[in-house]
Amino acid sequence: MAHAVDACVHCGFCLPACPTYTLLGDEMDSPRGRIVLMKEVLEGTLPLADAAPHLDRCLGCQGCVTACPSGVPYGELITAFRGWSEPQRQRSALDRGKRWAILRALPAPRLFSLAARVGQFAKPLAPALPAALRAPLDLLPERVPALHSSPKVTRARGQQRGRVAFLVGCAQQALAPNFNAATLRVLAQNGIEVVVPDGQGCCGAAALHTGARAEALSLVRANLSAFDPGEYDAILSNAAGCGAGLKEYPAVLHGEPDEPQARAFAAKVMDVSEYLFQLLQAGDLAPPLPASRPLQVAYHDACHLAHAQGVRAAPRALLRFIPGVSVLEVPEGDLCCGSAGTYNLEQPELASQLGARKASHILSVQPDLIASGNIGCHTQIQSHVRRARSRVPVMHTVEVLDLAYRGEL
Amino acid sequence: MRDSGKRANTTAHSPLSTDLLRRLAPRQVLTSLAERRNYRYDAIQFGETPLAVVLPENTADVVVAVKAARAAGVPIVGRGAASGLSGGAAPLRESLVISFTRMTGLRIDPVRREAHAQAGVVTLAVSDAARPHGLIYPPDPASFRTSTIGGNLAENAGGPMCFKYGVSGDYVKGLEVVDAHGEVHTLTRDAYDLAGLLIGSEGTLGLITEAALRLLPPPRFTRTLMAHFPEVGACAEAVSQAIAAGAVPSKLEFMDRACTNAVEDYLVLGLPRGAEAVLLVDTDGDDLETVEEERALVEQACVAAGGTVRRAGTDAEAAALWQARRSVSPALGRIRPQRMNEDIAVPRSALPEVVREIRALGDASPFPVVQFGHIGDGNLHPNILFDPRQDDAAAVHHLAHQIALVALRHGGVLSGEHGIGSMKRDFMTDALDPVTLDVLRDVKRTLDPADLLNPGKVLP
Ligand SMILES: Cc1cc2nc3c(=O)[nH]c(=O)nc-3n(C[C@H](O)[C@H](O)[C@H](O)COP(=O)(O)OP(=O)(O)OC[C@H]3O[C@@H](n4cnc5c(N)ncnc54)[C@H](O)[C@@H]3O)c2cc1C
Ligand code: SF4
Ligand code: SF4
Repeated sequence: MAHAVDACVHCGFCLPACPTYTLLGDEMDSPRGRIVLMKEVLEGTLPLADAAPHLDRCLGCQGCVTACPSGVPYGELITAFRGWSEPQRQRSALDRGKRWAILRALPAPRLFSLAARVGQFAKPLAPALPAALRAPLDLLPERVPALHSSPKVTRARGQQRGRVAFLVGCAQQALAPNFNAATLRVLAQNGIEVVVPDGQGCCGAAALHTGARAEALSLVRANLSAFDPGEYDAILSNAAGCGAGLKEYPAVLHGEPDEPQARAFAAKVMDVSEYLFQLLQAGDLAPPLPASRPLQVAYHDACHLAHAQGVRAAPRALLRFIPGVSVLEVPEGDLCCGSAGTYNLEQPELASQLGARKASHILSVQPDLIASGNIGCHTQIQSHVRRARSRVPVMHTVEVLDLAYRGEL
Repeated sequence: MRDSGKRANTTAHSPLSTDLLRRLAPRQVLTSLAERRNYRYDAIQFGETPLAVVLPENTADVVVAVKAARAAGVPIVGRGAASGLSGGAAPLRESLVISFTRMTGLRIDPVRREAHAQAGVVTLAVSDAARPHGLIYPPDPASFRTSTIGGNLAENAGGPMCFKYGVSGDYVKGLEVVDAHGEVHTLTRDAYDLAGLLIGSEGTLGLITEAALRLLPPPRFTRTLMAHFPEVGACAEAVSQAIAAGAVPSKLEFMDRACTNAVEDYLVLGLPRGAEAVLLVDTDGDDLETVEEERALVEQACVAAGGTVRRAGTDAEAAALWQARRSVSPALGRIRPQRMNEDIAVPRSALPEVVREIRALGDASPFPVVQFGHIGDGNLHPNILFDPRQDDAAAVHHLAHQIALVALRHGGVLSGEHGIGSMKRDFMTDALDPVTLDVLRDVKRTLDPADLLNPGKVLP
């Protein structure tokens, strides 16, 4: 951690990129402030409990990493710090229970789906509940769809041009099963065979980023044995957070005996939009049917695509590839929507302010449709756009493509 | 807060913080150690941990804070975004820090072409708010996404646009200021130009709470080019020649090889890594023919001096080049964790010689010395890069002094735009004659008899 802390020249360039600084306007809740706080805790000049509230408010969105000219690896820093500090934290029983529930339910689609269904019945009770319990309910869709599992192999349509492995993700199987269905259809349509390897599970990002290192390690290792990178052209994810998590494996296993395996694995990991964009650039992407009317699509950059993986151009290019679609840029587009993994559950107030702010910026460009590449952003934006009384549809980028291929856009 | 029950006892219950907590809302007064530790630095150095921090939301809050500090005999340090490069916002003693980042009220008056900005408004926000009215706010320090109007005016900040359009202070129509006694003043630019006295005073004469700023319609056309040179002096030559030939570019920026490489590591734009000097130029105006003519003049001067020229083809390419220039200073952190940053301004005719002499000083020292700056105004930022864990601070300071002397020897000044702060305070006796220094001290004593406002800054 020390090298990462020292790389910060405290110039403050990251301040405007930070959602919590933007809302709160104080140094403790800025990236620069947090780096100084971590440094002081590590050096023993500041008690952890004093710094903790400000570090807990960090979304891990990595907006600061994009903004930092000095190359401070803030993402690695906060993850390492949380892993180091979690065992020393003294948390209340309610808090421990909540964390345990989150860390258990997220990686288990069936459990999550069940929880979501139960939660759905609790929705009418929401106003009577304490804020900490209300926040997750707010995010649930009106109707929790049936859990849909992906076939083990989806054959390419027409001539086969490639073979990829697919990480099906956790929460999104329960909340938005069509993301995966659309992904499989779009890939098959383009001659790509898709394998969903057995034994795969949660990417481990949520556990890792909340400091639950032991849980994270076992999830990471399970995936490393489920996916054999030698067998596939690429290992795809369609959830920005999971994709970023998979790409982090070498850092997670740094210095461990299986680090080389993690490197080979991570070298193959791509977001589905990156992979399709490669086909597009090679002239190999099948042309979609034109949209039924000119469509203005507001594209929302998920933090874990734009900031964590540097994927910005690919999804935009894919959307523009559809005849009749133009892409709108959203004001303050670099600022997190407040969803950020489990943040919604841990910091409901800030998350909700950020969500409302994002919805109003998106709606200000008057889109016909909103697209993004992450389940967390999707539910957050959908919920806040609806709260702002707009019916504009919110979709995954591949869902838009899928509709276009089917002539239904 | 989940850990509140377990909070260590690190909250400072000084009489000052007790008094402040009584007079202001709890969210406006920071007293815990974690909070206070975060208000002891700026972009260049760490100072004393303040006794308390106040985050005012309006001028009345500032008055309350100043009066409370005065009653307690505690010094007051104003703070914007703490992007300052001379230690201005880093307290030298246990102080009350007044941080303006929540005073962000901003109103545009399109008819009078004015912006009314509270001190904490971010520089870029002024232009963003003015643009829908067909207006811009030209001062553009590289830190303009972060820095505040209050900090800009307290430092009289400059930027690339300032070669043609003037520095921050040139855009001030009036100021609202809270003095050392907690009295509120509205200052204009008429005789005596007290607003002018406050501009560049680095929080030592009063606290700026609001400013009326002049706005301009933006030029209709802008053209951007980049030139690179095998030798630094040639770059300075080209600039002098272009200006002599009648070009008035709106921006003329220079970075040396180390700077170019540090930025290229960050942005990967395809900058010429091997060049000893890179020059970035904008020409602008409302008449396209003149704008292109001026660009041609600059091009010819660059080629004549042995440079290679590349025009920015699109707005996006131009924007990327300017982002590169703005990233220079923090990107230097990739070379060494710390730097001593200078801000000299020399007559343009002396530039080639000054650049070469500083280069020679750097080469003879154990430290990497890099140079970049607003070369049109002769404003250079030589930076000494070092590692505080192993390098000798006195040696760094000595080299900085040598560099400052090069500027003074060639008829230059110590601060083009970043201010004196505590970093360059010691060099003031080289820069000013004793009689002038005495006048400055008299001014300070008159406005701040108890030496409460940012003590230890500017004046030696
Ligand atoms: C990477 C980088 C690039 C930079 N580039 C430039 C550049 O191109 N040109 C340039 O001129 N500067 C530049 N700077 C320096 C810095 O950004 C400017 O000096 C800026 O004006 C400081 O604004 P701030 O809000 O951060 O002020 P701070 O750093 O918080 O404060 C600066 C000084 O102003 C005083 N002050 C702050 N607010 C008030 C107030 N309301 N009333 C009275 N006093 C106040 C403080 O006490 C301090 O002395 C750069 C800095 C960095 C880190
Ligand atoms: S931009 Fe980078 S170097 Fe500058 S303060 Fe932020 S993290 Fe530190
Ligand atoms: S990760 Fe996001 S929330 Fe955390 S410090 Fe960086 S910008 Fe702020």
